Amino acid sequence: MEKKSAMRLSLGIGVTLFALTGLLLGGCATMAPEKPKILTPTDRGTVLFQDKYEFKVPVGWLLMRNLEGGDFELGFLKIEPGAFPSQTTFMYDEEPYGSSPNLEGRADQYCTRFLFNSGMVPEVTKREKTQVMGLDALALYFGGENPVQKEKAKSKVYLVKKGNRIISFVCTEWRPLDGQFDMRNFEVFDNFVQSFKFLKKTFYENLDEEIQKLRG
Amino acid sequence: MDSHNRDLYLYEALNARVLGVSMDDVITNKLFAKAFWLNFPLLSNPLAWMGKQYGAYSDKAPFLPDGSVNNFGRRTVVVDKKGIVRYIKDGSPDNKEILTLLLKLEKEFRGK
Repeated sequence: MEKKSAMRLSLGIGVTLFALTGLLLGGCATMAPEKPKILTPTDRGTVLFQDKYEFKVPVGWLLMRNLEGGDFELGFLKIEPGAFPSQTTFMYDEEPYGSSPNLEGRADQYCTRFLFNSGMVPEVTKREKTQVMGLDALALYFGGENPVQKEKAKSKVYLVKKGNRIISFVCTEWRPLDGQFDMRNFEVFDNFVQSFKFLKKTFYENLDEEIQKLRG
Repeated sequence: MDSHNRDLYLYEALNARVLGVSMDDVITNKLFAKAFWLNFPLLSNPLAWMGKQYGAYSDKAPFLPDGSVNNFGRRTVVVDKKGIVRYIKDGSPDNKEILTLLLKLEKEFRGK
């Protein structure tokens, strides 16, 4: 069993090296390769993100991308006036905390984990049913403080039922304890969420179809 | 673990089963599973033979000179129906990669 694994590993390294060689040679052939655009503007006042999503870009916010995979795929950051940690972030996350496939169950799980690493015990101030992209959703409003770090946060989260899965949009304002929250950021976030469209089927939607075909 | 739990319905649809393995005792694993709402079995392997078999446990002594425990490394292993290891990856699991492989294996198995 170990020999087979070792052979596969060697083969994997060989294939990787070959691919790298191909890329390097390709780089020599074209002197100034054009960088692929991350955001492509449309004539609808929106942008396309890697041909996967379409949304309105919040003016003056910085794009955040997760290059290594993990908690989120794309988001925006705004540095706010004031002492650390004065900043606001929002993001689209296709894998929110928890595993329950229904909104209420997922919200219960989500609330126990959200902001866990910040050392805050967030309090849910409001929880309401809503619709996002015409899909059933839950909007969760959080607030919390960390008196040791002298920080506080206020968040709004949409958990959205999309097919068999739950996706999320999350906006969090971070401030020092004596800082002021700016509710206009949540309006920017809501505009982003309302403008958000999927341009392609997700990996999971495609997989569901493949499984149905197999069963077919 | 969260991500595997989310994808359990897909693993089942692809005729795969998930097992978590740790060196913790049964009671610790039970509490861990409860805290993360896990719906798949966690195996308790304090003597580390299973981790060693699958390369997740290094050949160092059980207790390192600084007193820390030589725990399992984080490793995902996919074993097919014939018992052949078809996938090994260290670090955080890449569920999309795993599901893509399982789909391929299921197609192979069904001859499609």
